[in-house]
Amino acid sequence: MNNFFKVCVLTFLFSNLLTAQNIKFGKVSKEELKQKFYEKDSTADAIVLYRKISVRFEYSQTIGFRIIKEVYERRKIYNKGGFKYGTVIESLYHGRSDDESLTALKAYTYNIVGGEIEKTKLKGSDTFTEETTKYYKKEKFTMPKLKEGSVVEFKYEITSPYFSSFNEILLQYDIPIVEQEIKVVTPEYFVYKNASQGYLPFKVNSSTKAGSLTLPKRTAGAGLGIGGRAKAEYGATKIDFINNVSVVNMNHVPALKKEVFVNSMNNYRSAIKYELQYIKYPNSPIENYTGTWEKIVKKIYEHPEFGNQLHAKRFYKDDLAQVLSSKTDEIEKVNAIFRYVQSRMNWNGLYGYYTDEGVKKAYGLKTGNVADINLLLVNMLQSSGLKANPVLVSTRSNGVPLFPTRQGFNYVVAVVEIGGKNIFMDATSKFSKLNMMPKRTLNWAGRIVKEGGGSTAVSLFPNYVSIENIMMSIDLSAEGNVKGKARRVCRDYRAYNFRSSFSGMDEETYLGKIEEKFSGVEIDEYKIKNKTKIGAPVNESFSFVSEAAADVIGDKIYVSPLFWFTKRENPFKLEERNYPVDYAFPWEDKFMVTVKIPEGYKIESIPEPVNIAMEEGVAEYKIRVASVIGGFQVLSNLKMNQAVIPPHQYEGLKEFYKALVEKQTEKVVLSKI
Amino acid sequence: MRLFFSIVLLLLSTNSFSQDFKYQSLLIPENLTKNADAVVRLDEIEVEVLAQDNMILRSKRVITVLNKKGNKHVHGYAGYNSSRKIKHLKAIVYDPLGNILKKIKEKDFTDVSAVSGGTLYSDYRVKYLNYTPVQYPYTVEIEKEIQTKNTAFIPSWYFVDGFMASVEKSQFTIKYATPNLKPIIKEKGIEDIEVKLKEGAGSITYTALNIPAVKHEHLSLPSSEIAPKLMVRLNDFHYEGFDGHVENWEQLGQWMYSNLLKGRDGLPEGVIAHVKNLTKNAETAIEKAKIVYEYMQGVTRYISVQVGIGGIQPISASEVDRLKYGDCKGLSNYTHALLDAVGVESYYVHVEAGKNKVDFEEDFPSLAQGNHAILAIPNENNYTWIDCTSQVHPFGFVGDFTDDRRAFVIKPDGGEVVKTPAYLEKQNLQRIKSNIQLLVNGTVKLTAMIETKGIQYDNRFYIEEYDNDKVLEHYQTEWSTINNLVLEDYKFTNFKEEVTFKEEVSISAENFTRPTGERILFCPNVLNRSNYVPKRYRSRKLPFQIQRGYLDSDDFIITLPEGYIVETLPEPKEIISEFGEYKTSTVLQDDGTILYKHMFLLKAGDYPKEKYNDYRNFRKEVSKYNNAQVVLIKA
Repeated sequence: MNNFFKVCVLTFLFSNLLTAQNIKFGKVSKEELKQKFYEKDSTADAIVLYRKISVRFEYSQTIGFRIIKEVYERRKIYNKGGFKYGTVIESLYHGRSDDESLTALKAYTYNIVGGEIEKTKLKGSDTFTEETTKYYKKEKFTMPKLKEGSVVEFKYEITSPYFSSFNEILLQYDIPIVEQEIKVVTPEYFVYKNASQGYLPFKVNSSTKAGSLTLPKRTAGAGLGIGGRAKAEYGATKIDFINNVSVVNMNHVPALKKEVFVNSMNNYRSAIKYELQYIKYPNSPIENYTGTWEKIVKKIYEHPEFGNQLHAKRFYKDDLAQVLSSKTDEIEKVNAIFRYVQSRMNWNGLYGYYTDEGVKKAYGLKTGNVADINLLLVNMLQSSGLKANPVLVSTRSNGVPLFPTRQGFNYVVAVVEIGGKNIFMDATSKFSKLNMMPKRTLNWAGRIVKEGGGSTAVSLFPNYVSIENIMMSIDLSAEGNVKGKARRVCRDYRAYNFRSSFSGMDEETYLGKIEEKFSGVEIDEYKIKNKTKIGAPVNESFSFVSEAAADVIGDKIYVSPLFWFTKRENPFKLEERNYPVDYAFPWEDKFMVTVKIPEGYKIESIPEPVNIAMEEGVAEYKIRVASVIGGFQVLSNLKMNQAVIPPHQYEGLKEFYKALVEKQTEKVVLSKI
Repeated sequence: MRLFFSIVLLLLSTNSFSQDFKYQSLLIPENLTKNADAVVRLDEIEVEVLAQDNMILRSKRVITVLNKKGNKHVHGYAGYNSSRKIKHLKAIVYDPLGNILKKIKEKDFTDVSAVSGGTLYSDYRVKYLNYTPVQYPYTVEIEKEIQTKNTAFIPSWYFVDGFMASVEKSQFTIKYATPNLKPIIKEKGIEDIEVKLKEGAGSITYTALNIPAVKHEHLSLPSSEIAPKLMVRLNDFHYEGFDGHVENWEQLGQWMYSNLLKGRDGLPEGVIAHVKNLTKNAETAIEKAKIVYEYMQGVTRYISVQVGIGGIQPISASEVDRLKYGDCKGLSNYTHALLDAVGVESYYVHVEAGKNKVDFEEDFPSLAQGNHAILAIPNENNYTWIDCTSQVHPFGFVGDFTDDRRAFVIKPDGGEVVKTPAYLEKQNLQRIKSNIQLLVNGTVKLTAMIETKGIQYDNRFYIEEYDNDKVLEHYQTEWSTINNLVLEDYKFTNFKEEVTFKEEVSISAENFTRPTGERILFCPNVLNRSNYVPKRYRSRKLPFQIQRGYLDSDDFIITLPEGYIVETLPEPKEIISEFGEYKTSTVLQDDGTILYKHMFLLKAGDYPKEKYNDYRNFRKEVSKYNNAQVVLIKA
């Protein structure tokens, strides 16, 4: 055994030791400072060596219970890319009276200078408080003397009067975490339920331990409703209670890495969530905070800014009569009302299922939040005798709700039932239509809220395929130049996307963009139909010329059958993928082109027809190139049947695209007769 | 009593009929709506210089927003901090007929911290108008009044409001209390518009009417560069407790130095001894400077904190030494102090940084120019420039962030305006040499050596810091025409002394070539195939600029797949144009390999709009020949 090997073994043992329990604030080792990279992920710019979060309740006689969250982290900075982890920012709520605060901050930077450990303290004057808005402030600090190789350590406490202040504790960062412990201690009076988010497995260890608090004698048994097992003590009353303790210990938590076609990486970040179920003080009734989805929805429904908003109907009576004049068919009515609300109301960009202004006031102002607009829509549909209801939704940015809470929703849309079928609507977007809601709402399931507050779950992903259809007829010259005509039709979500991207753009700029995308193509005689006619397919037609669209080499011409629509690159380059590919809706690209070849040339070879399909019918592709009199014709059809493709199908998707790219880059060869 | 009552009624009734026909938006003439997302109906400011340290900025802006994209022209915000106070702020929104839709008082503006990305903390705050349009067009009228003691910064006046906005009336007035406060005004580009100048006792007014909207075009200069504007300054000014009297750059330099820089370069003994020790064997001042610069790069990082006078005064060198971070000012001053400690002279410099080259005006000494601080080190009859906010740039190389522009060098005995170094076409070199092997199964294997210099170095050397995944991603993007690219091996060498970056890369890719019957087609320009063609304009309106030129020169030796011989090679091509040169040749060599040579030179320059099509055709042709194919046939 040579020495090199010994050294390796030793280092390995050492680095394992580093992850052991003996981490104390202020005791940073030379080994930690000398570490050059993290063996489990050498790409990491920085890592968290140790992290401890502990949440506890503290009782004070004047204020009652408050929540203290102790934060302690030790981080290792490997290189300049990791410097940003030398800055810490905490966002805190500040209401009118109940502020959250950050206190007891201690922080040090450690470096090796001349073989010795140099410890630099963060001074109080080097921390900053930014009054971000009326409701939020940010506490910020950045570590002094930060270098490549530094270890930084900080601890502080956040005090909050809000029992939901720890409703989500992240377990995964954008950098790896070597070891962490998350401990939450809640007195028996506060009953929380926890749930996990993300792909990483972890165990929650639960136990109990005794706790107590002291009340002044005269308030014992009264005050906060705390009586319980009161013991008389001198001048005060001591109350014993049980603490519920839950602990998560995790080692080697990998960094969360970005992947393409993901709706929001944060939906996949591992976290533990705590939701307050109820508060039960001794000798007091239960104060419920959550329950089943049914109960939650009922509670939301009973809120004056939800259910009541469906009652007042006078304020729009005359307008509605006009909208519905001569409409008898149910679908016609729905469409007319939807269009009316969509064009009258202007969304102020705010989410929420409770109204801001209330539907009546919003109606007059012509603007409001999501609830103002969509509850107005439900209200108007209902008053026209239609079976309409609100649907509570968790948007893509809000994530997938894990358990029944009011935070599990953040949005509301409308549904109407006609002939046993549901039609979903969201009037906040100027480009949506019946059964075509903006992408933000397409997130798994919502809940239909019936009158009185009953509810049922319903899937929100569209079940139809949105098609883009391109037809071209092309004249190819012996020089490899082309001229021709093209027509493109975008339906459903393809039309929605088109309008969202290009509605504000003038034609010249838009055409410039297309010409830029298909470099070398020049477009003329551009016409567009239904550009703003929401609901109808967008229909574009134009003529074009392009030089050097085919390769003329010797007496042959080589033509890409799909010309500039050829997919030359596989969009999926990653080896493997941890998160779903999310297209939001099923789609299809159809392509038909007829090519007239120059006089004096014949077709020497054309690519073979091919069908490529992914397993379980996730995606299919077919292409046919056929010779016709005076030229050839191409049919190409790419269909993605699933809106969301889970990670276990990624390999298949990547292979599918690889085969597709190879097939599309095959050429038609023409030769001189 | 009765009388009073009727007056109230009268006021009410005028109020409710306050339909302001001036602000109806339906009758705006077509020349102002063409190409416009918004029409600036009125943009007027009255700057009142009451004293050397007291100035009021009263402004009124009326904007008709024609569509959603026009919202950004509303400018419904007011910034403030401890030395800049909002005295009055309000907005009124009108419908297309000029009826009032909504009145917004100062307290209804949203008040937020104005900390932007990259800044840790700033005491600057902003109140902004949070209004959701309920229809287009609509009109907003904003009135604001700001008071400040800092007369050193009088904002420049732009008669136009960026691209895609036309102007009905734009008016700048400055009033001054005493003759010594009479402003010096520099007019820039106003000959292109019709401007009336009125000078009265203690007041100057510029008025411009009916300026049509201009659309941004590819390669056109930014609007701030081509828009007609007024630059304004006072000979006698005030800034955060310091008065100044300045008539030229020399005096401004003296003022800056003696009030804001002097005495801020003290350092603890320890660090002085340390840098002295580091440089003890260095012979020349420049050698010492290089050692000190690299030391500073290794121990500091960029963090921006802006409070009060910290807007232009650096935090002290000893503070930076304690924290080991700072902003551009702090780090420049710190490096200056370190250099001073080893006896090397250096000067603090104000410059306007960014990819666009913006000059300081030689005849207009004002603090309002510049957004960045760097250092200039005297080197024989010239200067060596360093940017102390970079931890990675080679000594003496500032890259395209501050290259080729006039900057303000501040010396103890005065200031001067000096041009920073330019990196010219051939200095911005990329040279690729590659051995490319094509296999029968369609796979390509290649090794490449890429050398970059000048601005091309600047655009490239940062990949040194990348991890393996990002390096792979970099090459997959750089060589996007090679599908299934696998990175076999790579090595980067950064020759900082010569400002040269060398990449040695080997890659392979399956299915790079696909047979078409008996033949294989491939493009011999495997590694530098630019398909860039500038956007077409049916009628180009603006002149264009090629900001920086460069030279690419490539040699690829291509080994053919076994059993195939050359059927056709592309013809050699040479293009010489006023925009640059292009040359390729593809030759079958005696050993059966193909030698592909490729050269592309792009020249920097400003060109009139008439030349745009020529430039586009040049790039089109280059793109075409870049894609020329070799045909191989089975032997």
